[in-house]
Amino acid sequence: MSHDSCHHCRLPIPPADAIIDRIDGVELRFCCQGCLSVYRIISGAGLGTYYQKRQLSPSGSQGGTIQDTYDDGYLSGFVLQRHGRGELSFLIEGIRCASCVWLVERYLGSLAGVSEIRVNYGTHRGRIVFDPAAVTPSEIFAAVARLGYTPRPFSYDAARQAEEREQRTTLIRFGTACFLSMQLMGYSLALYAGYFQGIDPASRKLMQYFAALVTTPVVFYSGWPFLGGALRSLRNRTANMDLLIALGVLSAYGASLFALYGGGEVYFDTAAMIVTLILAGRLFEGSARRRAASGVDRLLRLAPEIAHREIGDKTEAVATGSLKIGDILLVRPGERLPVDGTILAGSTEIDEAAVSGEPLPVPRIAGEAVIAGTLNLTASVRVQVTAPAADSFVARVARLVEEAQSRRAPVQRLADRVAAVFVPLVVLVAGATFVYWIWTGGTVDPLLAAVAVLVIACPCALGLATPTAVLVATGASAGRGILFRGGDVLEGTARLTLAAFDKTGTLTEGKPRIAAIRPSAGSEEDLLHLVARAEGGSNHPLARCIVAEARRRGLETGDGEGTRTLPGLGVELGLEEGMLRVGSRRFLRQAGIGGMEPFSAEPLTEIHAALGDRYLGSILCEDTLRPEAADAVARFRRLGIGTAMLTGDTVEAARRIGAQLGIDEVHGALSPADKAEWVKKAMARGERVLMVGDGINDAPALSEADVGCAMAGGTDIALETSDLVLTRPDLMTLVTGIEVARRTLDIIRQNLFWAFAYNILALPLAASGELAPIHAAAAMAASSICVVGNSLRLKNL
Amino acid sequence: MLSSTLILIILSLFLGTGVWLIFIWAVKKGEFDDIEGAKYRMLEDDPPPTRQGDDIDKQSRLP
Repeated sequence: MSHDSCHHCRLPIPPADAIIDRIDGVELRFCCQGCLSVYRIISGAGLGTYYQKRQLSPSGSQGGTIQDTYDDGYLSGFVLQRHGRGELSFLIEGIRCASCVWLVERYLGSLAGVSEIRVNYGTHRGRIVFDPAAVTPSEIFAAVARLGYTPRPFSYDAARQAEEREQRTTLIRFGTACFLSMQLMGYSLALYAGYFQGIDPASRKLMQYFAALVTTPVVFYSGWPFLGGALRSLRNRTANMDLLIALGVLSAYGASLFALYGGGEVYFDTAAMIVTLILAGRLFEGSARRRAASGVDRLLRLAPEIAHREIGDKTEAVATGSLKIGDILLVRPGERLPVDGTILAGSTEIDEAAVSGEPLPVPRIAGEAVIAGTLNLTASVRVQVTAPAADSFVARVARLVEEAQSRRAPVQRLADRVAAVFVPLVVLVAGATFVYWIWTGGTVDPLLAAVAVLVIACPCALGLATPTAVLVATGASAGRGILFRGGDVLEGTARLTLAAFDKTGTLTEGKPRIAAIRPSAGSEEDLLHLVARAEGGSNHPLARCIVAEARRRGLETGDGEGTRTLPGLGVELGLEEGMLRVGSRRFLRQAGIGGMEPFSAEPLTEIHAALGDRYLGSILCEDTLRPEAADAVARFRRLGIGTAMLTGDTVEAARRIGAQLGIDEVHGALSPADKAEWVKKAMARGERVLMVGDGINDAPALSEADVGCAMAGGTDIALETSDLVLTRPDLMTLVTGIEVARRTLDIIRQNLFWAFAYNILALPLAASGELAPIHAAAAMAASSICVVGNSLRLKNL
Repeated sequence: MLSSTLILIILSLFLGTGVWLIFIWAVKKGEFDDIEGAKYRMLEDDPPPTRQGDDIDKQSRLP
């Protein structure tokens, strides 16, 4: 529909997601805050010829009101002073695309006193250098908030700095290994050529010395992580990949050094190649994982750091951490609650989506409990603190997540298990070779033969077997909307036996939709038209779904003028024909209007309407099941994976949906800790559990499970704690993901076979003391080509 | 023959070391921290962000 495309970018607007702005009475519709903001800036700077002079209208309560949540006193703790200039790092939430980054950079750059601004596309972190005399940190934050994004202060703590240093060190190790291996390749080529056509001994010696020179840093600097890992593995008395790598590298290097003095062939290129290729593999694997920032940190930042405490008849801003039980706070509309508490006075609607995933705002009246981090939507309330910030619901969930993450044993990798068998075997064969040649006392040097066995048994293709398969599989599945966070996740996904789903937003759409329109008289359109007139200016999800439906049918909608919102009840609009009331059953009953049908048995949300004292009828909204949910559950069964549903909703609601979808096990009324506990128990039974969820209440279970899966559109914390992310909200892609993972595991198994196959063929040569460098090179090249070629087959899944 | 080879090898080592030092400098400076951004930034042909007069100031004072 042409009238439902974004005024700025011309893309279609998803129903009920429109952001509406009014200019000279003309209604302009945008698909996101970014487009609206770009429009505002372009027109504000007088650059847009299409855009005429306009006035801004506040766009409802989107996000939190950040302007007065952070003050300079608090933010100055995050500012670094450098040569008289301030430097501030902050995290920007709400960035979706490249133009969002562009917008923030350009806009902040235009502020007076800002000399440098850079926003990282991958991590959404901004770094700004400014003149403290001309602009304050809170002004900068206010500017970001004005664009519709949410800035959060971000401190470089020790852990994060160490992590960043680690990444850079790995990159430098790899770069160094690459540079030196390239040099080495030249000398090795000369030596190989010399092997076939003859070379004078002086040149040969020279090449060997240079080869030794460049290989030494590769082994001991670039290869340090493997050597360290091998040492740890020896201490733990469990053989792993690192030990196998270290064994191969050190034996090749040692034998070559020995040959350098004693005469004979050198294998420096083997040692350097093993290190370089395996480092490359680790970089591949790390790049997928690195995108994840610290999820727990973000979770805790959900609650504002500043609260407004009432003292006498005044309020003062205090740090959230200093609040005590019994303190009384004032929470204004648009603010997030700093701590858990009970409402003392006032009634409002609270958006708990960030915490529970529940899409509809929940009405809360005096005496009811509210949760830290949730958003107060409609009215100011006085809240009595029931738990200090460190004990709030969100903080408790964060602790659960942290515990689960620290406790969870890493998925034991296939390659490690292979190494555990292979290392003792190789050492045994090498030892046997040594003993045999001493025993027979032939012409062959026993030590050299034993070392040759070690060299040939540690294939460098081993380092490529897992990473190349993971790289190709993650690349191919990313195109289908499945993001695997690393190779162990792929392995874990392939072995799943049980899938547990959250209900709201996972099996259901998480967005209300109109199920039925029931006018008491007249047509559906008439009723919808009247209701849409009253609800036109509202940001309530139910209102937006009604307005979207009215627009779809080509009906006119209201603009919110003259309407009065009663939190938790409904809206009123005075018309010539009488007072138009739209809202809950209770709201109409309070106004003395009767005639409503009795409650229906279905779990639907009802919206009733009345004009004057005449009852008009009702509109029923529901959170619909995802259309593919039933199919997906059936496919899971066919893959041999059991299904379960874990939800915080009532047991009856859970049972009904479970029966509809054919889910094996259904559990309702679960808290976040209960869900995690259930997952833990299932894992103790030996099940390999997949948890699919989207809210904060799923976060502990997501990180507890073997594989946690979040869908796009879920809360940030769910995305951060999950191992597997679906970028399209489609459960069928999850089924595809599992199939891809299983296929990948097969390929990894084949790769491991090929990695060893050729080298094992060359093993008798080594044991008999006949190994020439050309044999080692041939075995290595053949296995590497097989492994890479085999992995590439994953591309055309 | 041998000495000319030696000179060439040492020359190539020096050349490579130069490139290696530039690489390390780039990593330390954080050039590889944001590998996503480059492909978008190269398409921006606007002037670098500076103050652009009154209109933007007016914007930033709006509520």
